[in-house]
Amino acid sequence: MKPSKFHYHAPATIGDAVGLLGAHADEAKVLAGGQSLVPMMSLRLATFGHLVDLNKVDGLAGIERSNGHVRIGALTRQATAEHDTTVASDVPMMAKALPHIGHFQIRNRGTVGGSIAHADPASELPAVALALDATLEAAGPGGERQIAAADFFEGTWQTALAEDEILTAVRFPVWGAASGFAVEEVARRHGDFAICGAVCGVELDGDAIVRAAIGLFGVGPTPVRSTLAEQALIAGGAGSDLADIARQAADPLDPSDDIHASGAYRKQIAAVVVRRALTKAIEEARS
Amino acid sequence: MTTTVGRYIGQSVKRREDPRLLTGHGRYVDDVQDAGTLHVAFVRSNVARGRITELDVSEARALPGVEAVYTADDLNPMIQQYWASMMGPRIEMGGESVYPPVSVLAPGDVRYVGDPIALVIATSRYIAEDAADLVVVDVEPQRPVLGLREPITNTDLVHPETDSNVSQTMPLPEIPEIEALFANAPHVVTRTFAGARATNVPMEPRGLTVHYDRYRNEMLIRAATQSVHEIKAFAARLTGVPESNVRAVADDVGGGFGQKMMVMREEAAVIMAAFKLGSSPVKWIEDRRENLMASNQARSEEGDLTFAVDAEGHIMAVKCNFFEEVGAYPPSAGATAMLAIGVFTGPYKIPIIIPGCTAVYTNTVGKSAYRGPWALETIFREQMMDHVAREIGMDPIEFRRINIIQPDDLPFKTATEMTLENITPSETLEQVVEMLDVDSFRAEQARAKAEGRLLGLGIGGYVEPSAIAFGVLNSDPAVMTMDVSGKVQVRLGTGSHGHSIETTIAQVVATHLGCDIDDVAVIQGDTATSPMGPGTGGSRTAVIAGGAAQTASIEMREKLVRIAAQLLEASPDDLEVNGGVVSVKGTPQAAIPFAQLAMTAHMAPDMLPEGMGPGLEVIARYRPPTEFTWSNATHGCVVEVDRETGMVDIKRYIVSEDCGQMINPMVVEGQIAGGVAQGIGGVLFEDMAYDSDGNPLATTFLDYLLPSAPEMPDFEYGHVESMSNTLGGYKGMGEGGAIASPPAVANAINDALAQIGVPALTRFPFGPSQIIDAINAG
Ligand SMILES: Cc1cc2nc3c(=O)[nH]c(=O)nc-3n(C[C@H](O)[C@H](O)[C@H](O)COP(=O)(O)OP(=O)(O)OC[C@H]3O[C@@H](n4cnc5c(N)ncnc54)[C@H](O)[C@@H]3O)c2cc1C
Repeated sequence: MKPSKFHYHAPATIGDAVGLLGAHADEAKVLAGGQSLVPMMSLRLATFGHLVDLNKVDGLAGIERSNGHVRIGALTRQATAEHDTTVASDVPMMAKALPHIGHFQIRNRGTVGGSIAHADPASELPAVALALDATLEAAGPGGERQIAAADFFEGTWQTALAEDEILTAVRFPVWGAASGFAVEEVARRHGDFAICGAVCGVELDGDAIVRAAIGLFGVGPTPVRSTLAEQALIAGGAGSDLADIARQAADPLDPSDDIHASGAYRKQIAAVVVRRALTKAIEEARS
Repeated sequence: MTTTVGRYIGQSVKRREDPRLLTGHGRYVDDVQDAGTLHVAFVRSNVARGRITELDVSEARALPGVEAVYTADDLNPMIQQYWASMMGPRIEMGGESVYPPVSVLAPGDVRYVGDPIALVIATSRYIAEDAADLVVVDVEPQRPVLGLREPITNTDLVHPETDSNVSQTMPLPEIPEIEALFANAPHVVTRTFAGARATNVPMEPRGLTVHYDRYRNEMLIRAATQSVHEIKAFAARLTGVPESNVRAVADDVGGGFGQKMMVMREEAAVIMAAFKLGSSPVKWIEDRRENLMASNQARSEEGDLTFAVDAEGHIMAVKCNFFEEVGAYPPSAGATAMLAIGVFTGPYKIPIIIPGCTAVYTNTVGKSAYRGPWALETIFREQMMDHVAREIGMDPIEFRRINIIQPDDLPFKTATEMTLENITPSETLEQVVEMLDVDSFRAEQARAKAEGRLLGLGIGGYVEPSAIAFGVLNSDPAVMTMDVSGKVQVRLGTGSHGHSIETTIAQVVATHLGCDIDDVAVIQGDTATSPMGPGTGGSRTAVIAGGAAQTASIEMREKLVRIAAQLLEASPDDLEVNGGVVSVKGTPQAAIPFAQLAMTAHMAPDMLPEGMGPGLEVIARYRPPTEFTWSNATHGCVVEVDRETGMVDIKRYIVSEDCGQMINPMVVEGQIAGGVAQGIGGVLFEDMAYDSDGNPLATTFLDYLLPSAPEMPDFEYGHVESMSNTLGGYKGMGEGGAIASPPAVANAINDALAQIGVPALTRFPFGPSQIIDAINAG
């Protein structure tokens, strides 16, 4: 389990990083926390001639709030975001999702941007980004662009980022005060990737639900947003039959089998985690 | 002369190994960096079964930094002899035991995914892996032989050298009287149980450095092994280097659980490669993927059980037919069902047993020992006890009580002709029942059910055939020397890979010699300094090496007392030994410390008693009075099953254990905890599954799920201490934790599910997906 030979680059600016990616084309790969990339290289599941390390690039880490958004720099460590008071108060779904990523040692190195750019279908953060309509900021040879989360996740480990683009930040809209969020997942062990999980949010106005977010992960090649179920929930309000809403969220799914669970299991459990998460989210929004 | 037994024995003395091991200062194989060391990487098959149509190593050989690339043609023909001491020579060498064909590298065809095809030696592991990637291998795939029963009749053969895939069999007999008994029995229950393929997963994978110096015709091996003497003997047989010229050393070893007891093909290949090279040290450190994909595995076993039970719930007779796969190249015979049959009746009075078993070769990794190699007997029997109880409408604890061996049944001769003695199965069962408070649990279970929550309780009991003492395992040595300074060294043929032997044997020695524990050094793991012993495994060390250390200590103490008696002009009977001082009873000022006695023995031999030779050396060897030293335990487990997700939460876990005289209760409980963790893993998490093409599906820790600390409950321990008939009264208990826990957990889950009418699961793993399938079906 030794990686094959590669050149290591540690640029100091985003421009240099993008330049290196362009110069080495498909030979190059960005290194962030290394928690997914390094094992793949050690197992020789992936080989790259050039690693472009983002850890020395200025200004890629940090959390700030402005204009109704929270902007999290791509290089922000998952552990930093997990313990950040702004994230806790303004993007609670994110704060609740982060502790489910691996173990704290992994979160100490792993980055928010790395998790989203890596786009593992069983990852929590891509589902959070999708459910909350996050905006992804990317830098490439042609400058910066913004990508809606809905357009970002294309398949297992595949995103809308071009080979020479770097994810620089992710921007989350801040919901109103009468909101509640919950993350529910089934994982074989503490710290495992989820077999299946749900991230849910609701914003209430009395008993009316004015905003709803239902995201699922571990149920297909990309995270899934259950727009129909969200609409049904908004139509039915806080008194909706949540089991029924959850079934609507699970119905269109067609997850596949693996050694940890059958596709049928995942689909059945999807309805359970959505119902449990919605129940908690509504409870929290009311309190 | 009075003794001081009990001063250290029975105390939870802190482990002397821990300061170095817990701070990362152990010395494992890979920590020793000899100058000029070369590194090995294997080219392995990614096809389960097939013919090698092309094998080109020229590009790999040409890579700068590569010293050699060997294939089957280079190494296989050089093999002199290939057999394990525990099993004896091969048939063609005058022995009888069953081994797979000999090869250290794939001989023209590949027989499992991971089968080593070529061995690369380079100046670094990086280069070795680069070169391994350059080896061109083309394999024409053939349909693999897989499964436990199908290979029996399959005409495709794992080993073309044989005429059948069956490696061992004892057909289930049909006896008319017994058939009539079953036909007329009030209750007859039949079930098939299956284990999940598991692997040992030591924290330190396999690894060894072999330095053959052709000019001296000497070989030095540093290995992660459970038995330095075995790898030394094996290397000598393999290469023809005289055994006296081979030295094997194992410093710290990071776990084994049976995996490092036998020499495996990769290790043999590295020994052969270093022998062929004849110059530099050659190191192979197995990486985690290799360990998961290609180190030995176990527990791919099934059992067809039928129990005949009378109207009151007494077991009248049982039939058990076991099926197991031993993979392609088990390092010895692999099959363990014969031993399982021998102890199948466990803690119960089962008057008749009709056994059968069949082991087959398959195109998978070889089977070898894994903590409790015969564990299938308890794992299946204890589940069966619950299935039968449920079917005849009896409480599982009551059903056990009716059938369990009681104190006045002892010694008890089992239906398989084993004599059980000095065991306490009914006492440990009752202790667990009391600790569980079963009556209040049942009330709580009913309350929980009313709230929609499913609680369940499971029991597992067993009798452990510890300290197996026949063949090469018959005995263990202890060589004790006392220095001029009065400190002792005891040299053992054992090895420590997590057993606390440096601590526990020091407790035994300090107690019986009558000295401070800090004055005792325990030396093992080097054939140059340690006498021949079979190594550490099979729950033998406390019983057998402990007996040897005790014998040596007592002999040494007697010698010291005789010297003291001479110097004090007293009778040996009037002396006592305490804290490294021999003194006259009642007259403490008439005392001589060990150091002074040792100085006399080493430097003033003329002052010694008449007829006593100079020096202070004792050679002792202990062979237990019986081939097995029985220990026993009962496990109790409470779980909650989430009926919507199938997730299992272990709420309580209780073990009542009788391992005789405990040397160190903390170490005993540590052994139990580790074993139970592995047993829990075997039910809930671990599954070394293969797909229908023979591809292993769990080759990293992402997929091979070891239980981790958060999944473990707090263990509760009860102890019953009844003495064995061995020297120290000890009974081995290293494996029991892993043996009795799987059925306890399985029974608890099924107890929970039975409340909502779900038919009991019988095939491990009981993962959430399988539990939900069962709930959906029920
Ligand atoms: C034992 C273990 C358990 C884990 N459990 C979970 C879990 O339960 N849930 C979960 O979500 N994750 C889990 N992970 C993965 C972990 O969260 C990783 O941190 C994360 O997936 C990748 O983040 P990273 O910063 O380490 O990225 P890296 O490993 O450095 O990179 C991952 C990929 O993303 C690309 N990349 C990284 N940053 C950028 C960027 N700014 N722009 C463009 N491309 C980029 C890299 O090129 C690479 O392809 C686990 C990991 C381990 C080792």
